[in-house]
Amino acid sequence: MRNYIKISIMASLVLAASACTDLDEELRGDFSEDFDPANPGLGQSGGGTDDGLSAAYAEVLNGTANHGGYFSVTEVSTDEAVITQKGGDWFDGGIWLNMHRHQWQSTNPGLLGAWNQSYAGIAQCNLLLQETKFNAEQVAQLRTLRAYFYWRLMDLFGNVKIVTEPGKDVEQSSRAEVFAFIESELLAVLPDLSTGRTYARANAWGAQALLARIYLNAEVYTGTARYQDAIDAADAVINSGVYDLSSSYADVFSPTNEDNIEHIWVAPFDESVGTGMNLAQMTLHYPSQLTYQLQQQPWNGYSTLEEFYNSYEDGDVRKENNFIVGPQYDIFGNPILDVAFDKADPDGAPVNYTPEINMLAPNGSRQAGARLGKFSFKEKQLPDMDNDFPLFRYAEVLLTKAEASARLNSNWSDPTALMLVNMLRERASVSEYTTMTEEEFLAERGREMFQESSRRTDLIRFGAWGNAWWEKAAHSDPNLNLFPIPNDQIQASQAETFKLTQNPGYD
Amino acid sequence: MKKYLLLGLSLILSASLWAQERTVSGTVTDADTGEPVPGANVVVKGTTTGTITDFDGNYQLSVGENTTLVFTFVGYAPLEVAVGSRAVVDASLALDISELSEVVVVGYGSQQKKEITSSVVSLDEESFNKGNINDPSQLLQGKVPGLSVYNKGGDPNETSTIRLRGISTVGANTEPLVVIDGVIGASLNNVDPNDIETINVLKDGSAAAIYGSRGSSGVILVTTKSGKRGGGVSASYNTFVSAATVANEQPIMTPSEYIEAGGNDLGSRTDWQDEVTRTGWSNVHNLSVSGGSDKTTFRVSANYRNINGILEKSGFDQINTRASLNHYALNDRLKIGVNMSLTNRESNYSFNEALRYAVLFNPTAPIRNDQGNFFQAILFDNFNPVAILEQNINDGKRKEMNFNANLEYSLTDQLTVNANYGQQYGDDIRGEYYPRTSLFRGFNRGGLARRSVEDSRFTLFETYATYATGFSNVDLSVSAGYSFQEEEREDFYIELGDFPSDALGYYALETSGDRVTGKQLIDVASSATPESRIIAFFGRLNMTIDNGIFLNASIRREGSTKLGKDNQWGIFPAVGAGVDLTRYLDLGTFNVFKFRAGYGVTGSLPNESGLAQDLVEYDFQEGGRARLTRAANPDLKWEEKAEINVGIDFAAAGGKLSGTIDVYNRDISDFILERTVDAAIYETDRRFENAGKLNTKGIEVALNYQVANGSKFSWTPGIVASSYKTVLEEFIIDEQMRANLGAPGQNSTSMVRVAVGEEIGQIWGPVFTGDVEDGSQVLKDVNGDGNLNTAQGNALEDDGDFEQIGKGIPDLEIGWTNQITYGNWDLNAFFRGAFGHSLVNTFRAFYEPIDPGAINSYNRIKSDKQIPEITNAQFSSLYVEKADFFRLDNITLGYNFDMSSSSSFKSVRAYFSVQNAFTITDYSGIDPDPVLQDRGTVDNGGRLEGQPDVLSPGIDRRYNYFTARTFTLGLNVGF
Repeated sequence: MRNYIKISIMASLVLAASACTDLDEELRGDFSEDFDPANPGLGQSGGGTDDGLSAAYAEVLNGTANHGGYFSVTEVSTDEAVITQKGGDWFDGGIWLNMHRHQWQSTNPGLLGAWNQSYAGIAQCNLLLQETKFNAEQVAQLRTLRAYFYWRLMDLFGNVKIVTEPGKDVEQSSRAEVFAFIESELLAVLPDLSTGRTYARANAWGAQALLARIYLNAEVYTGTARYQDAIDAADAVINSGVYDLSSSYADVFSPTNEDNIEHIWVAPFDESVGTGMNLAQMTLHYPSQLTYQLQQQPWNGYSTLEEFYNSYEDGDVRKENNFIVGPQYDIFGNPILDVAFDKADPDGAPVNYTPEINMLAPNGSRQAGARLGKFSFKEKQLPDMDNDFPLFRYAEVLLTKAEASARLNSNWSDPTALMLVNMLRERASVSEYTTMTEEEFLAERGREMFQESSRRTDLIRFGAWGNAWWEKAAHSDPNLNLFPIPNDQIQASQAETFKLTQNPGYD
Repeated sequence: MKKYLLLGLSLILSASLWAQERTVSGTVTDADTGEPVPGANVVVKGTTTGTITDFDGNYQLSVGENTTLVFTFVGYAPLEVAVGSRAVVDASLALDISELSEVVVVGYGSQQKKEITSSVVSLDEESFNKGNINDPSQLLQGKVPGLSVYNKGGDPNETSTIRLRGISTVGANTEPLVVIDGVIGASLNNVDPNDIETINVLKDGSAAAIYGSRGSSGVILVTTKSGKRGGGVSASYNTFVSAATVANEQPIMTPSEYIEAGGNDLGSRTDWQDEVTRTGWSNVHNLSVSGGSDKTTFRVSANYRNINGILEKSGFDQINTRASLNHYALNDRLKIGVNMSLTNRESNYSFNEALRYAVLFNPTAPIRNDQGNFFQAILFDNFNPVAILEQNINDGKRKEMNFNANLEYSLTDQLTVNANYGQQYGDDIRGEYYPRTSLFRGFNRGGLARRSVEDSRFTLFETYATYATGFSNVDLSVSAGYSFQEEEREDFYIELGDFPSDALGYYALETSGDRVTGKQLIDVASSATPESRIIAFFGRLNMTIDNGIFLNASIRREGSTKLGKDNQWGIFPAVGAGVDLTRYLDLGTFNVFKFRAGYGVTGSLPNESGLAQDLVEYDFQEGGRARLTRAANPDLKWEEKAEINVGIDFAAAGGKLSGTIDVYNRDISDFILERTVDAAIYETDRRFENAGKLNTKGIEVALNYQVANGSKFSWTPGIVASSYKTVLEEFIIDEQMRANLGAPGQNSTSMVRVAVGEEIGQIWGPVFTGDVEDGSQVLKDVNGDGNLNTAQGNALEDDGDFEQIGKGIPDLEIGWTNQITYGNWDLNAFFRGAFGHSLVNTFRAFYEPIDPGAINSYNRIKSDKQIPEITNAQFSSLYVEKADFFRLDNITLGYNFDMSSSSSFKSVRAYFSVQNAFTITDYSGIDPDPVLQDRGTVDNGGRLEGQPDVLSPGIDRRYNYFTARTFTLGLNVGF
């Protein structure tokens, strides 16, 4: 009897204990797969659209106008922007100096940023494309957006994996294959895309503008020129009648530039529902915070090269708009001071942005360099800016058609080209060209498209990528036309079925 | 859990059913002195039946036929006496020179020290570190071979970093599992150092395997003081007052040196390091009452701590109370125990940033300008350190409570069941306020307030049964049990700006202008972890053969909610064997020579929950979006550590010399790490994975030698030493650079290399030749290819001129204790040292070059290693310093007053103690102690985020607190 009691007590203890083996994990503060990403529901007060595509479109907000990704590598590698080493500041292992000198490495975090930002966009497109509830037009938009991200990858890195299903590993494609994929995707979805005006969404004209861009660069991308196709795509946009040049250049980039007539497709930056534009911090000197009453201290990083600044003639409204130069004042009109001014700086403590930069490194003056002001700052600006950033705008389409016409006719003074370029010169209040050289066209395009991540692609297409410019030696290495695939990603791919191969010349 | 308590009750009720045959009684005395020994254990051999002697050494016990009684007491050799037909059995116990009979808590029970076959170190109050110690882990610093306890500088509000045998895990929980009075996962914050009786450290896998998935980083078992049975009631009062002074400042330029070097003279002369530091006075009071009758023991204590650090404002006020009650019933067959503890701490976290900026701020800047306002300027990573401290608020309150109830019942002479239920709660509320006049965090936002609350709960239920038996010369004990652990945490956080007045600080969030205009500036978050559970079944077998051969084996099957569905359950086995060779061989001078070997498997869990599930985040980008931000890893499984430990315990020369040597080999497989994955395939480029393998080999030695042991004079020096080496055996990435130096100007400058097949802790960089050209270091052509390639991005390239320029992990760590008594005086001197490691002196790397572009922003470091010709900051071997050190960590002189027997005081002891008395080192920074993990870089008033990186040791960052030298005067009174 005793034993029976004891045994039953023990048994019940063990049984009671083993009943408690529930190991289900229920997330309480986070969403998991139960949360429908295509139907975010509330939170629309910021003026966004509620088409369910935000998860994918929002990815263009990351990297387009902040530091350490797409914007940085497409600007600092060119002759229109530089990050000088300012004494102990901005050396950063020499990565931005190397980028300026075209001696970048595959470990550059900006390249990794650009890579990851593009694939993050592609991943969100792929996820949404798994949904069944989208109509043909929305599916077409997602495929266009995905093609846009692939264009960035193709343009920067060339040989990448074309992933079209979430989580599915594929073999690395060649640059020409990526080109073919982008083209076929865009052509396939064109009939389904909207032909009306859209805001921050891809429509037929956005797709055509992207086609125009890849055709214009087709020789670089594939070895085969496609100038007529570029003209046709540009004409499709021009003839749509949906877009026009803005009468004011400044308006195209201002904090209130939403829905500007020139915008074909924008990254809709907004200080609260579209964060990711930090140009004010990236370019302004610390005390310039007082000029604009910024809510975050600037970092004193980016400026433009003196030569590039001087490529604008006085009176060019674009010169006035695109740069911040001269003595700086606070909102009460008092000069702003840098108490840690360089002894060598003739201006002393009062901040004065001079187009001339004393040196790239190691002791670039803290106040030297015209600052990047194309996307103008508003007072009391939050850390993130409000200006929409055009991914495609009408002026670029005009320039594409002009260039393609000139190239097709082997004549840089081609009347169509001259006419289109002069439309932009007229708006900029500078005299019209009667004749034009290749160099003049490239410079004109540079002046117009400054700070819009266009310069690198243009310099490569014009064969000017290897030219010497300030603090950058000439080179003729065609391998530099592609960036190296980020080292981290090559390493990470070793765990996958298909391993990434580094671009030629970077092993 | 209620049903378990009911079960427990039914156990009690059924207990009276079993009676005993006859009664023996007797007295236990000390063999030398003849004095009675109170509190000695008397156990019927081969059973768990037993009792404890009363205050006069008397006992009474019911026994069966042909039984043998085993008498044991701490410090005495066990004695076995056959009862025969006697009714009175007296025992006189001889002192045990080897102390191997000591009973050691090993998790779900205790064992005699001699039976232990794994690496376990036991420390009692006498051997704890002394002085102003507020964090229990500091009691152990340097005392346990293989246990590293480092608190860089000694911020009173920071807990120490604890590592056992080096890196036991990469991405999982790196801190040892703490068990307080049998409660797994208890918080060391909730036990006052004054209340701790012993601390046992289970070092190897075979000891820790019984704790399964939480045992990989080692186990620290804390036993708090309790009342003694039949010991009467006694009280004690302990107090000390201490003064912490700045031991070491950063060597910086004086104002005149600064001006001469090209700095802008702003007209004043300010010693900023002096301005932000102080002598921190602290006082601590501990009052306890404990006692016990035959049936019941109790102890209650109250602790008050008022601690002030050397950084102005930093410190805390803490009240802690602890109560324990044990009751023995049903002829001692049933033991009921209840423990409770409460802690309330009010902290002023102050701002460690003030120390950084005190080093950097222009020494010619005034504290205040002529108008009486703080001198402030908009510069990068540069704030008036006095203004930071005086303008802003950073404080918080933390409450912790825990209780546990324990039942132990002997069902039969052989079978004992034990059940333990406990809960622990923590509550933390913090507040920060930065007025609009503060350039540090407040100015940008028109005043900034931040509040955060965290609430946590931990529940434990465990039950196990132990069956003890014996036949011929074999003693056997078998245990089996069940463990249920559940943990959850909730938090809430808000940050708002634009306040109309600074007067109300963070108490009037509703007045924030951000409510009208704030947009993204309103920063709000709340979260809750899943109820994360660990469920386990475990068993253990202990066998002693011939009182000379010892076998232990255990197994634990355990599941966790944190892992992938098919990988939630793991099995953690352990075996160990030991033999006392002196029993079988004549080993001459050796009194004890025990050889033991153990093998055990333990696990590690990630800190985070939800890693096996997709994570979808919602934000307002584009007007609102939900997106997958972390791909699930449904295959996530335990990180597993398999460890072999071989050791020798010996005593020689009549017990004068004793020691322990352990060597171990541990393989950590499937270590959990958030790593970069192929961004083309996964939705993000980071994912938690079981990423690789580590191997650590090490040796640990502890030696004690009794130089003198007279009644007038005794001196027992002891030395502990340890060394280990950790190699990365497998990793998805062959080699990788980690640990960014940071801003200003040295981002993308990684300082640590991790490579497959090589040791962890390689500081990696270009090598300074000693020559300077145009203000720049001439770096070495390491590979001799005639082409100097020192661009950071090429650190791992074949043509890159980089090499190992330091080692983050020390080769050898030692502790040397000396306990000397002379009459009523006692002297305790404890030296500690670490050798073979280097530190990156980041202050020098940033601020030592006399950089014309930066000198106007920041003062210069002027160490004895400065090369004044260098004007460009460039990370190199120049800033990696050997940090070997030898330190008189603690010296304590005490005096025990003679008490007449008529005095109402039983004992009175006064002592004076100095912590960090002196350090011998060539390191030019603040503190040469190794840095075992890296918390990354932070600047310009930003905040540290993310998990510390254990793969990047050796970086002395700019946010470390200054070290203190502390003088303590204390008094212990017994009533």
